[in-house]
Amino acid sequence: MYDLFIAPLTETYFQKALIGGSIVALVAGVVGCLVVLRRMAFLGDALSHAMIAGVAGGYLVMKMLFGLEAHAPGMLLGSLIAAVTTVALISFVARISRVKEDTAIGIMYTGIFALGVVAVSIFRHYIHIDLMHFIMGDILGVADSDLWVSAFTAALVLSVLILFFRHFQIATFDPIMAASIGLPVLFLDYVLTICVSLVVVSAVSMVGVILVVGLLITPAASAYLLSDRLDKMMWLAALFGVTSVIGGLYLCVWLDSAGGGAIMLFCTLQFLVVLLVAPKYGVLARWQRMHNLIPQQQVEDILTTILRYGKPTPMEVIVQYVEQDKGLKKALESMIDDGLLTQAAESFSLTEAGDKEAQKVLKAHRLWEAYLESIGTPKEELHPTAHHLEHISDPNTVDYLDEKLGKPVRDPHGQTIR
Amino acid sequence: MTTENNFVIEVDHLTVSYHARPALLDVSINIESDQLVGVIGPNGAGKSTFIKAILGFVKPDVGVVKINGKSAQKAKGEVAYVPQRGAVDWDFPITVEEVALMGRYQQIPWYTSPAARDREAAFEALKMVRMEDFAKRQIGELSGGQQQRVFMGRALAQGSDILLLDEPFAGVDAATERAILEVLERAKQAGKTLVVVHHDLSTAAEYFDKLILIKQRLYAYGPPRLVLREDLLSKVYEGRLRIFSDVLAKEES
Ligand SMILES: Nc1ncnc2c1ncn2[C@@H]1O[C@H](COP(=O)(O)OP(=O)(O)O)[C@@H](O)[C@H]1O
Ligand SMILES: [Mg+2]
Repeated sequence: MYDLFIAPLTETYFQKALIGGSIVALVAGVVGCLVVLRRMAFLGDALSHAMIAGVAGGYLVMKMLFGLEAHAPGMLLGSLIAAVTTVALISFVARISRVKEDTAIGIMYTGIFALGVVAVSIFRHYIHIDLMHFIMGDILGVADSDLWVSAFTAALVLSVLILFFRHFQIATFDPIMAASIGLPVLFLDYVLTICVSLVVVSAVSMVGVILVVGLLITPAASAYLLSDRLDKMMWLAALFGVTSVIGGLYLCVWLDSAGGGAIMLFCTLQFLVVLLVAPKYGVLARWQRMHNLIPQQQVEDILTTILRYGKPTPMEVIVQYVEQDKGLKKALESMIDDGLLTQAAESFSLTEAGDKEAQKVLKAHRLWEAYLESIGTPKEELHPTAHHLEHISDPNTVDYLDEKLGKPVRDPHGQTIR
Repeated sequence: MTTENNFVIEVDHLTVSYHARPALLDVSINIESDQLVGVIGPNGAGKSTFIKAILGFVKPDVGVVKINGKSAQKAKGEVAYVPQRGAVDWDFPITVEEVALMGRYQQIPWYTSPAARDREAAFEALKMVRMEDFAKRQIGELSGGQQQRVFMGRALAQGSDILLLDEPFAGVDAATERAILEVLERAKQAGKTLVVVHHDLSTAAEYFDKLILIKQRLYAYGPPRLVLREDLLSKVYEGRLRIFSDVLAKEES
């Protein structure tokens, strides 16, 4: 037990990974909510890939101009510039040409990524960037400077998102209304893009270029399945981000695997569990709902049976007339809940709403009978066939039959239709 | 010349285009206050664009839109808006009460949270549209008519005197249509001006005080009997006359 859980905690590298990773994952989860809701997931990917060119550029410029080796703020600024340039290029290409946005994103981020890779290899004598490190991330080797950068970024991004929560909420949900009350919608879009870039940049050093988009969207997507309010979704996404890092890091030391990979694996498993068990939007809940669904046909059969019987109807009578008596008890209960029936002693009667519904089906039944007769259906088949057809009782169909038959008053058995 | 009259919405030589294709061309119209105005025209006629231009959301190529005598870009919040159903993400994690509360966002300074007063105002607005019992529901868990009413509640919570509604009657049943219309009429009685995009010609005359007929250009503006004329409709709805032959008949009787 001690070896499994406590021992890693005493190691400095593990502590740093835990702190740095949690900070990054927390803020990535929160921003990720907006990314998911705005369907910008692809953008996270594009930003992280573009970053390598920015890092190389920043490194090179700081070294050439100021003689500073691996200057972290310089590389950070370079990444941001690269990220914003990529976004601008994407929207430019999508706007001026027939190339759609998803393609434009794909072109630009692979292009700029390639530029970064080529630059890093050409200038390998000046700048020392380990490409592999960049692509895979190195959460177990987090440096103190990385910790500071990510703490600062997280504080900044979280402050912006918390202070302007309502602004981002409304600009995401209803940009037209946001604009109509005077919010700078376009500016908010830019601010959000910069926040996403900042988060991506600080996360790449830990989980790497390829996995960073997962850290952004997977916790947010898990939270999406569990919440009906944006603030709650953000809290949950932050929580899921942090648990992914904790779970992933333990996984990584136990299995002696790559850190970034273990974190994303844990994060994804977490999502799958939520997807399965989420009380409202989960797969099991959905399956349960389908299972509990009362067939409309059964409901209608029960309604017309009681209407035809004309007085409070005991169970035995209903069983005789309703075709599918499987789940009949459940159907009756749910109809009472829906306000269609009332139960007194062992008998059921229609409520006002139930009566209205029953009349509707009965009218459809009689119209169908009249129609069937008019097209020459043998007398003995009239009732059973109409009994199936009566469930097609939407207003359009009923009106059509009514029109076509010249608004008949009586059906073939002489019963009144209206 | 603009301040002396009682026009709440003044649109002057408005042209709006998307990618060099005009959606609205040289539209001029003055709308008086305290009326229920219907906007009719076929699909793609530019009805939604017209609404967005009044909101100041799309930028005109030429022309000006004035709200209460002020340019639409400046008159922020004097116009409230109910979006077209298809334009809303119904899976968005937001509840009915939060949508209504959005109507108050303009009044809340950015550095504070909504106060109890704002929540009460939002709840009052929900009561006006009879949606208070659904306050905690996620907006996707409502029927079409209920969803429409929530957004109407939001517009009422804004307290604006001008309400723009984009196809509030689309995809709702007849009873719901009545309920929505009732809310619109009450709003009108309370002194609001409503501009409503409507797709059903057969009810247009009955519902609205005035109609706007557009298809890129403005074809007519005035009381229904002057707008629902065969020559105008056949020009706008090209060859689909059968649909509104009963409309015309109804008008004549
Ligand atoms: N964002 C947009 N980008 C490009 N074209 C648009 C956009 N919005 C509307 N349009 C075009 O403008 C015309 C008018 O659209 P719209 O105002 O939505 O019509 P309506 O609401 O009457 O159906 C249509 O031809 C439509 O294709
Ligand atoms: Mg429209």
